[in-house]
Amino acid sequence: MNKKDKKTFHPILVLNRRTFHKNRGRNLVAALAVSMTTILFTTLFTLAQSMSENLVEMTFRQTGYDAQVSFKSIDPEAVKKLAAHPDVKEVGTSIVLGLAENKELAGRQVEIRWGSDAYARHSFAAPTTGRMPEASNEVALDRITLKRLGIPAELGESVTLEWRKDLTDSEADCIRSDFVLCGIFEGNESSYASMSWVARTYAEEMTGGYYNQEGIILGQYMAQVSLYSDRNIESMMGQILADTGLSDLKYGINLAYSPEMGATALQQTLPMYLGMILVFIAGYLIIYNVFQISVTTDVQFYGKLKTLGMTERQIKKLIYGQSGRLCAIGIPAGLILGWLLGVVLVPAFTGILGGNNKVSLNPVIFIGSAAFATLTVLISCMRPARLAGKVSPVEALRMNDADSRSRKTKKRKNSASLGGMAWANLWRNKKRTVIVICSLTLSLVLLCGFYAKNAAFDMEKYLSYLMIADFELADVTSDDYIGGYNPLGSTLGSSLTEHLESFEGLEAAGHLYTHQFLWQMDEQTTENLRSYYTPEVLSDWGSYDPDGPKELQKAVDSRTVSAVVYGLDGIPLEAATQPQYLLDGSFDKEAFAKGGYVLAVGPAIEAGESYPVLPAPSTGSRIELEGRNYTVMAVVCPLSPVDDGASEKGAPDSMEMHFILPSDTFRTLWPENTLRKLFVDVDDEHLDEMQGWLDNYTKDVDSSLPVESRKTKAEQYETEVRSSAVMGNAVSVIIAMVGVLNFINSMVTAIVSRKREFAMIQSVGMTKRQLCSLLIYEGLYYAAITLAVSFLVSSFLVGIVIRAMTAGGFTTFRFTLLPLAVCTPVLFIFAALIPFLCFKNLERQSIVERLRME
Amino acid sequence: MEAILKVKGLKKYYGKGEALVKALDGIDLEIERGRFTAVIGTSGSGKSTLLNMIGGLDIPSEGSVRIGSTELSKLNSEQSAVFRRKQIGFIFQNYNLVPVLSVWENIIFPISLDGRRPDMDFVMQVVNMLGLSQKLDSLPNHLSGGQQQRVAIARALAGKPSIILADEPTGNLDSKTSDDVIHLLKMTGKEFNQTIVMITHNPEIAQMADRIIRIEDGRIVTEQGRQLA
Repeated sequence: MNKKDKKTFHPILVLNRRTFHKNRGRNLVAALAVSMTTILFTTLFTLAQSMSENLVEMTFRQTGYDAQVSFKSIDPEAVKKLAAHPDVKEVGTSIVLGLAENKELAGRQVEIRWGSDAYARHSFAAPTTGRMPEASNEVALDRITLKRLGIPAELGESVTLEWRKDLTDSEADCIRSDFVLCGIFEGNESSYASMSWVARTYAEEMTGGYYNQEGIILGQYMAQVSLYSDRNIESMMGQILADTGLSDLKYGINLAYSPEMGATALQQTLPMYLGMILVFIAGYLIIYNVFQISVTTDVQFYGKLKTLGMTERQIKKLIYGQSGRLCAIGIPAGLILGWLLGVVLVPAFTGILGGNNKVSLNPVIFIGSAAFATLTVLISCMRPARLAGKVSPVEALRMNDADSRSRKTKKRKNSASLGGMAWANLWRNKKRTVIVICSLTLSLVLLCGFYAKNAAFDMEKYLSYLMIADFELADVTSDDYIGGYNPLGSTLGSSLTEHLESFEGLEAAGHLYTHQFLWQMDEQTTENLRSYYTPEVLSDWGSYDPDGPKELQKAVDSRTVSAVVYGLDGIPLEAATQPQYLLDGSFDKEAFAKGGYVLAVGPAIEAGESYPVLPAPSTGSRIELEGRNYTVMAVVCPLSPVDDGASEKGAPDSMEMHFILPSDTFRTLWPENTLRKLFVDVDDEHLDEMQGWLDNYTKDVDSSLPVESRKTKAEQYETEVRSSAVMGNAVSVIIAMVGVLNFINSMVTAIVSRKREFAMIQSVGMTKRQLCSLLIYEGLYYAAITLAVSFLVSSFLVGIVIRAMTAGGFTTFRFTLLPLAVCTPVLFIFAALIPFLCFKNLERQSIVERLRME
Repeated sequence: MEAILKVKGLKKYYGKGEALVKALDGIDLEIERGRFTAVIGTSGSGKSTLLNMIGGLDIPSEGSVRIGSTELSKLNSEQSAVFRRKQIGFIFQNYNLVPVLSVWENIIFPISLDGRRPDMDFVMQVVNMLGLSQKLDSLPNHLSGGQQQRVAIARALAGKPSIILADEPTGNLDSKTSDDVIHLLKMTGKEFNQTIVMITHNPEIAQMADRIIRIEDGRIVTEQGRQLA
């Protein structure tokens, strides 16, 4: 050693480094605990962040663009002024020509436009293959449109688009333009519209250079403005418009940037943040315990340092230094593993939300998780550090593993039994015992809770609500909320339906027709509406649908609603009239089939709850529908497979009221209306066969046919349910590992630190066998207490909290403590095995050696 | 000669009522600079408690301990730690070396805790005198008991404290080594004009001191001074 080295001796740093290396085993446990805590934090952060990013992305896709501001109609000169403003990042522009009206595109809005590169990019419509059109005969389309048109997604294919210059005039000349496909991009499934990009030259030719003419879509000049900042968009935009002298321009702010979006994202990710609190508790329990144990084990060491003149602050620094080293090892490992776990779990979670599942790589995740983990470690070692700092140098020489406070000793009359001794030993350090038991209990209870919650999901219930038949086919316009349902559609033609209904293995079928018209409500119905919609119900309704109450008011005032009459038979009729869906009255199948009766569809409320009045015609009253009188037989719940769908094309924008008639009656009244939905049940052997046939049909004959099958729906939801269960179980398994690690650590240190004591009792005559059983007794007591507490708390959690959480919805609550039952033997084996192994290790040293130990 | 250590009416009681233990029951003592004092007494006589009080490791129930111009009972725990590392050198029966630090690091440990730089020439002088110059890079558990105690003596001397307190420094050593260690302790004390207070229950060892104080039941019973040689 040279003199220079001697001069730069930093005692705390050196001690910190060397003691850390000395206690490898202990630090391994602690580092594992730190990294597990970090893993959980990172995973939850990754999930939360990815979910909210995906939510925002999805909203972008739903609104159709990701710029902050859009102008529906703006002068090209104004665009130049805006683009020149320093606060504006980018301006994209587009000229609308019209909507493609090819027959194959029914049900999807395909907008024929010219767009600048920026506009296409911000509208999720920049070509990924090829480029934007340049020549008049070029077009760029998305895969959704190409699929519908039945054109292969290859550059150079020829495409013909049909459109009209004047959309308001249905007699206007149809333009058929032939194009060459020059660009392809992924479609935006979340939006109702697809972009069909044409060249600027073509657009100029069609518009003749006239933009933004009143009431005409052709030549509408639109712009999207991207700003540098997402904050205070409105005031910034106001400033920009004022600066450019364009203050009277009307603009729209992208919904995805509204503050409500943030609130929704927070709501979605709330469970993750609650999870983080649990992680914090679990992490605290183990890290605190590890430090507490190491401080009590090393208390003499700290006492020694203190006699040599180390101050309280220096000792604390030493302990925080140790924790810092643990963080430096545990946190980076945890960040990486946690993020990878997040990558696995994100699809499961965002899958529920729908949309794509991009895993966020936002630095916030890593900074946040590292900060939280560090915070957990710091808080965990606060008390141990204080304890070590406060060590009195004199007392340190006497201190042992037990609580320092003196206790009253109970005198037992009976002789010392091993069990009794073990029990007493358990409570020598009450705090630690309680912490270990809490830590184990927390994980077991969580596991139970997650399991019971997942087990309560009832697939049958869920499917019976979403699907009422094995296969459900619909008219292509049935869900066309933009153009409206076309009652004369030809999707479900007779050749298709006849083939399906004569399919081998057919068990049942059912039909659904609809007809919509304006209905003059009778006095009683109006009165029912008025009394059902109390101000509270209205304000609740208005909170998520501001137009709803207004339409209701209009309907009540004018006594006019838009009536939708359903003609049902077979599967949908049976499903809708099941007893649990009857809100009022009873259903008599035969009487209903005769045609003099009608069923009114009530509000979507939980059946079984009784309401004094329902917003529908009263049961038993006579109502008139398009000139014919019916008796209202019952009021039923709206059942989504039956009731869902778009309003009829051209239907007035007013409140709807739904009625159900037998399909025979319906068809005699409105014979020109074609089939809207077809429901088919086949036996299990023929399920795959029919699926195959339908797959071929949609591939070869009609690519636009909407088909849903119970099996694919079930599979789809099963994977989603399973993956969310995986998440819950992953969290509880890691927490369980933390608990077991805590348990092992406590047991091992409790035994190792008592080496001398054991030597002492051995020296006065306890046999090896007795000592070993003493240790095993202690372990078993730990396990028994943990299990007792876990059973108690889990019963409470599952029986009350989970039962309440799973009430309603698609769940059937079942009381289960299965995970605990599985864990019971495992825990007991651990509890007996660890002391046994420790004892084997202990035995290697002789009694005298151990007695002499310091 | 001026007294470096003044103890007045020092009492330390443990427990209450029937269980009251009077570990120290009124000690008055003055120790002059540069002298080597031995405190002897049987187990439980209170001699270790006295040493802890003088070293500021324990708080007296009553009375005062003054080292130089500092009244120890007026210091809080932080201040007393700082005082200890500056003004007091400890030598313990079990050496109290820090196992993860090398011999050299152990010797300068209290000085560096204080954020000071060791007086290299002085420390090397001490090291050489104690015959440790070849062992500076060793770890304590590679040394014999006598060597370890010599390291502890070097550590006590290195900071040039006002007083060195030795608690049964030979308790773990055989008689030959004990003699060597005490001899070295006495010699270095003389060389550097250090005040040493040593506890022992061994009268032979005590005989090597300048002054012997006998304690029984927490009181000083006899004092036996010798002329400085």
